[in-house]
Amino acid sequence: MSNLVLQARALSKKFVGVQALDKVSLGIETGTIHCLAGENGSGKSTFVKTISGLYQPDEGDILLNGNVYTGLTPVQAMREGVQVIYQDLSLFPHMSLAENIALNRLRLSGAKIVDWKKIWRIAKEQTEKIGVDIDLNATAMETSMAGRQITAICRALSQDAKLLFMDEPTAALTRQEVDRLLKVVQELKNKGLSVVFISHKLDEIFRISDNITIFRDGKKIGDFASGQLDEKSLAYHMTGRDVRYPRYRRSLGDDTPLLQVKGLNKQGHYQDVSFQIRPGDILGLIGLLGSGRTEFALSLFGLNPPEEGVVVFEGETVRVASPVEANRLGIALLPEDRGSQGLFKERGIRENVTSTLLGRLASGFRALDREKEREIAEEGVKKLRIRAPGIETPVGTLSGGNAQKVVVAKWSAANPKLFIMDSPTVGIDIGSKAEIYEMVQSFARGGMAVLFITDELEELMCNCNRVLVMGNHRIIAELDENAMTQSDAERRIADLIGGSAGKEVEV
Amino acid sequence: MRDLMGDLTGRIRHRRVNATEGILAGIILLYCVMVAAVNPAFLSVETLFDIVRSSSTAVIVGMGLLLVMLSGGIDVSFMSIALFGSYVAAYAMIRLKIDSLAFAFAVSIGLGTILGLVNALLVNWLNLPPFIVTLGTQNLFHGVMTTFISDKTFGAGVIPSALSKFGSATLFTLKTRQGVMGLTAAVIPMSIAVLLTWFIVSHTLVGRGVVAMGNSPESARRAGFNLLKLRLFAYGYIGALSAVMGVVYISQVNAVYPNKLVGSELMIIAGAVIGGVKDTGGRGKVLGVILGITIIYLLNSTLIFLGLSSSWNNFFVGTLLVASVGVTSWQNRRKNRKNLLFTE
Ligand SMILES: Nc1ncnc2c1ncn2[C@@H]1O[C@H](COP(=O)(O)OP(=O)(O)OP(=O)(O)O)[C@@H](O)[C@H]1O
Ligand SMILES: [Mg+2]
Repeated sequence: MSNLVLQARALSKKFVGVQALDKVSLGIETGTIHCLAGENGSGKSTFVKTISGLYQPDEGDILLNGNVYTGLTPVQAMREGVQVIYQDLSLFPHMSLAENIALNRLRLSGAKIVDWKKIWRIAKEQTEKIGVDIDLNATAMETSMAGRQITAICRALSQDAKLLFMDEPTAALTRQEVDRLLKVVQELKNKGLSVVFISHKLDEIFRISDNITIFRDGKKIGDFASGQLDEKSLAYHMTGRDVRYPRYRRSLGDDTPLLQVKGLNKQGHYQDVSFQIRPGDILGLIGLLGSGRTEFALSLFGLNPPEEGVVVFEGETVRVASPVEANRLGIALLPEDRGSQGLFKERGIRENVTSTLLGRLASGFRALDREKEREIAEEGVKKLRIRAPGIETPVGTLSGGNAQKVVVAKWSAANPKLFIMDSPTVGIDIGSKAEIYEMVQSFARGGMAVLFITDELEELMCNCNRVLVMGNHRIIAELDENAMTQSDAERRIADLIGGSAGKEVEV
Repeated sequence: MRDLMGDLTGRIRHRRVNATEGILAGIILLYCVMVAAVNPAFLSVETLFDIVRSSSTAVIVGMGLLLVMLSGGIDVSFMSIALFGSYVAAYAMIRLKIDSLAFAFAVSIGLGTILGLVNALLVNWLNLPPFIVTLGTQNLFHGVMTTFISDKTFGAGVIPSALSKFGSATLFTLKTRQGVMGLTAAVIPMSIAVLLTWFIVSHTLVGRGVVAMGNSPESARRAGFNLLKLRLFAYGYIGALSAVMGVVYISQVNAVYPNKLVGSELMIIAGAVIGGVKDTGGRGKVLGVILGITIIYLLNSTLIFLGLSSSWNNFFVGTLLVASVGVTSWQNRRKNRKNLLFTE
């Protein structure tokens, strides 16, 4: 038993209306990588926060390095070598990245005086260790999601951890960064560290895990050695059913384009982008992060207007200069950068879901139609299987993935003509992905045009009837409906994005 | 063009703290030039010494306010604390016939710290907004003093001589055409307060903890900071500095009134906000507070040179406050839009 760095014994934790952990017992062996898998809201993050001393369990106790704790505090946990990269990153928005990285370590070391040289040394050391280049002077608030995630990772690595929890550390990272991170994790393991890794990306789980524990509805379903499972059986254990993704084919007869884009240019962001999209199209846009796809998507929504080029929407040349204008035209954007944003955390699901509709639901006398709001919110909760006690539950208390589903519901509620979805399933479990695909496809069947931006080939293949591949700020290939039905389509795309991956991506 | 604008604002945002201070310094300079143009008499050592003397008390307590606002809180009871501490100290000196400046400071600081800690505990226990809590204690502290201790006024004759001497003491004197001028000794406690606060905020872990708490209480807790301790520190600190300020104040006016000071908190809070201290916590600088307060006192004491009545003072301060808050909220809105939050 002595090789267990952590032993959780029958932990239970209840929140108002939810049994987040239900008698969970779990042991983590020294020097292993242990993955936790489970649907959104199954209790993974709650488990992490209980071990790090943020939540007190209602029942059960925790053994860290053989010491028994019933009322563990964050400082005790850290002293036992527990470090966490929290799902919400837990950064200080107005502090520099350097200080964000080093402050916790200084705090734990018991220093009374702040040595800024040391702060910079720690920060530089860590960023060099994982080989990234971020502006350590910038505040967290001014930094991209990827940069923030890297900061949180550096902070955790800067301390002498024995047990490192990583709660969806890769959600906002590019493929190369994920590769580098996974390599670092392997190195840590070789040094004898134990890592608990949480991710909804099954390929990552199988790449690095020794053991996998599956959660469902706050209960532990089982412990498995990584070799005992494959993606299919893992998915089955997580959801309790066979997950199958629907495949989309466009069936609309009307071929008049809804949106035509000709020669759109913005120096350093995207170049010479031209394409058109019809109602009922789910046009995939794939390309690595940093390929210019997000910048381009923002420009169609009025947030990053082009310097050159023409945009024709419903037959009329338009200049989308602001989101308000985009909204008026019927263009919605599900932003990529939504880890903690796009939501009012203290407000309920209902208010958040209907917040894009304020103008529309306001009837003549500008009073909001409560009944209508409730309907819309309830429909969103049902369609996307948002796990919450009710539609008035504050979004801040939802699990990470469920909060993201609220963002999806919010932008869907606007029922736009053109829906730009930037990585809509990041952080969402494999079961709920199917629901989101179902929803997007039914929108398209109803005549909506969707611009679907994603990193994942699998989801591109099952949702999109046409695909644009972007690399180095321009469109490097277009696959039409015909090409997409060919059996080599997936390989062609994989080769294309593989080929444009050579260039280093700046964070 | 938009790109250029974006670029510029990006760069300014990056150096925002410096930018705020630069703008304030610019305003101060411009204003001085303007006043001097209208009335050359303004450009004199006398005016400078005068402004230092009148603003020294505000700067002392402004430093405490900075810490509390950095922690994400606010204190509107500090004048009440200043009055409480200094009044009781003076009262004890008169009654016990102790004539010592050190005694005055010691008693006042002791009381002020205790009252500050009371604020922190109440904020922590009641879990109410600090504004409400300290609005309550503002009246409570003042009421306790006037009801249970004394509500008499002590004029120039009875004030212990240690206090009146300190009030009129000068560090060095200059002979000018107007006569002999001296720099008030209040710059000593003021400088100590400024340097100490700067050191605490940027070089101690408590200070960084306070800033961390103002950034995100939950993240600070996760980092292992004890929020109650940080709060006790911040509110205790402003309590202590208020008490220092109270003693300086009664020394300068050479009298103890049971109802002065209280009610003039908002000018100092305005100074801090104009100086770029974020009302929601986590951001603010010592220099900003000093400049913000300087502007207010500069306006206050120079309107005569412009031949304007003192009611213009409120007008100017109000305009500045609205402008600085307006700019901040505009910046926020822009940022929110970028993050696709539509609050309007
Ligand atoms: N502070 C809280 N207050 C109330 N309910 C909470 C709180 N934290 C979590 N919950 C609830 O507990 C359940 C488990 O949440 P948890 O965050 O552990 O899920 P998770 O497995 O991490 O999901 P995800 O994959 O979406 O991150 C959810 O139903 C969530 O709504
Ligand atoms: Mg989670």
